[in-house]
Amino acid sequence: MPDVSTQDKDIEHVIRVENLVTHFGDREILHNVNINVRKGEVMVIMGGSGSGKTTLLRHMLGLHQASSGSIYMLGQDITQLSKKQMYEMRRNMGVAFQGGALFSSMTVAENIQLPLYEHTSLDDMTIKIMTRMKLEVVNLAGFEDLMPSELSGGMIKRVALARSIIMDPRLLFFDEPSAGLDPVVSAELDELILRLRDAMGMTIVIVTHELDSAFRIADRITVLDQGQILITGSVEDVKNCDNERVQNLLNRKPKDEDIDPEAYLQRLTREG
Amino acid sequence: MLLATPIRLIEKIGFESIYITRLTGSMIIFLVHCLGNIFILPIRFTAVLRQIYFIGARSLLVIIVTGMFTGMVLALLAYYNLKQYGNMELIGAATALGLIQELGPVLAALMVIGRAGSAMTAELGIMRNSEQIDALECMGIDPYRFLITPKFIATIFSLPLLTCVFDVVGICGGYLVAVINNDVPSGAFIQGMITNVDWADLRLGLVKPLTFSVIIVWICSYKGFYVHQNRSGVFGAEGVSLVTTNAVVMSSVSVLALDYVVGLIML
Amino acid sequence: MEIKKRNEAGHSIISLIGEVDLHYSPRAREEILNTLKDKQNVLIDLSDVSYIDSSGIASLVEGYQLSKKAGQSFGLLNISNAAMQVLKLARLDSVFPIYSNIDEIQN
Repeated sequence: MPDVSTQDKDIEHVIRVENLVTHFGDREILHNVNINVRKGEVMVIMGGSGSGKTTLLRHMLGLHQASSGSIYMLGQDITQLSKKQMYEMRRNMGVAFQGGALFSSMTVAENIQLPLYEHTSLDDMTIKIMTRMKLEVVNLAGFEDLMPSELSGGMIKRVALARSIIMDPRLLFFDEPSAGLDPVVSAELDELILRLRDAMGMTIVIVTHELDSAFRIADRITVLDQGQILITGSVEDVKNCDNERVQNLLNRKPKDEDIDPEAYLQRLTREG
Repeated sequence: MLLATPIRLIEKIGFESIYITRLTGSMIIFLVHCLGNIFILPIRFTAVLRQIYFIGARSLLVIIVTGMFTGMVLALLAYYNLKQYGNMELIGAATALGLIQELGPVLAALMVIGRAGSAMTAELGIMRNSEQIDALECMGIDPYRFLITPKFIATIFSLPLLTCVFDVVGICGGYLVAVINNDVPSGAFIQGMITNVDWADLRLGLVKPLTFSVIIVWICSYKGFYVHQNRSGVFGAEGVSLVTTNAVVMSSVSVLALDYVVGLIML
Repeated sequence: MEIKKRNEAGHSIISLIGEVDLHYSPRAREEILNTLKDKQNVLIDLSDVSYIDSSGIASLVEGYQLSKKAGQSFGLLNISNAAMQVLKLARLDSVFPIYSNIDEIQN
């Protein structure tokens, strides 16, 4: 198992993925994936496109059924839970999807408050204050009554983030948080993620391909390539890893090809 | 070589059978899940009211216009065909029965498919594509109950009412054509209706919209909800438009088929 | 979560003990609002709060706002580390009047 971080038996693992194998049709997408996420850490799952990282995330969220293997969340194997039990489990999980996934027929405030209205019997005033507090945290104070169609890409992501933390969940999942954001906003988001970990003791799983962001905030990084885990370890461990595929990913090296001038010319000018 | 084609044919038949069986099973599970939620309180009244507005209230204009013209055409045809036999008093009955038993339910359903059914499919398809349905799941909210059950309740409530409006407006239209345009005695028109339309006809005219509403929401919302599993493997906007067209066609055909079946059972 | 009440230095002191989260914060809210209705000056003792979430903080915010409208005084007493971190995250550490002990109020 390519996990080079210290194996301390006393560390509490809030997420344990064991021997996960999954298929789309006949294609095997994840090959025997094993990951542990510790309580209160920021775990970044990194990989290129097609590495399977989004698929892995969706399995952790219980959105897909694996072909085999187990996924333990807070001690329970979610592959064995009934639908009702899974909904219970989901109260502990907050998710921010890549495109925000906001409900277009609801205002910003209504989007953020939805889990509160559905799952709690809190007073309207309390809910209103909580919503506004979360908007303040993501720097969107005053935007409650706007519709998602009136927001920029960065704002949509921040609203999605606010929605994911409205119930102060113990586990937080982000799918490509920095995608489409300018560096300043992206850095602010990273700051926020760290503050959430420190203040609320949240365990945060981030799927991304942005190296800078990952190195800045990760406690540990898991590198995924073509459905296999290449390494799980601290930022230093990953940077110093001598696995070629890992290094390629880190150095953003495209596949090396010697150009054959004749063949190249042919490719450019052939018929059809 | 000679064996290839029959073998291919058998393969195809097998493939299709498996597909149809899977699809039927999936659709039935979907239906049971959505309808079952109607009986689990609390019902989200705001959501249901909103759907009644979109599906019912906003279809009213279309229903009135179509109803009016349908009634007028029916009366015109009845007049034309009956005048050679001199049975003018049957024009009222023919118009009313034609509307109540058949054209009201079917045409109202088709209008609703075109307006609300297609919107349902497209909306759910877009939600699926932008991960909104996944977001609901991850928030611990049952998307069937949240999104689709209100549509069922709203349509089961609205379609019979819309059908009644269609019938009434149609009869008025027929009255206009027959009595005012073509000198059919008003008394004969109305009396013909009263004598020949009875409770069994009205019952038929209400049972049909009830069954139609279930099939419309069933097909249209299923197709939108599962746009990501569409048969042609098409993604994104193209996928949504594909399933929307499919949904409209499939539900229209199903309504017509169901129309016959219900008529067979009840007549 | 437990709630204890006592009177000292002209204030009604509500002590919240344990975890103030989605399940328990409505009770805390009720206690705070009722005490304010009785025209009392309110102090919330957070020394024994092991965990407080946004719903708990929201109740404190609501109480503070109401007290301002009614002209009564409101403050947070002896905030535990856990509670302080959450207040800081919500940027409310500079909003509430905060005291580390009873004597500070009397000054």
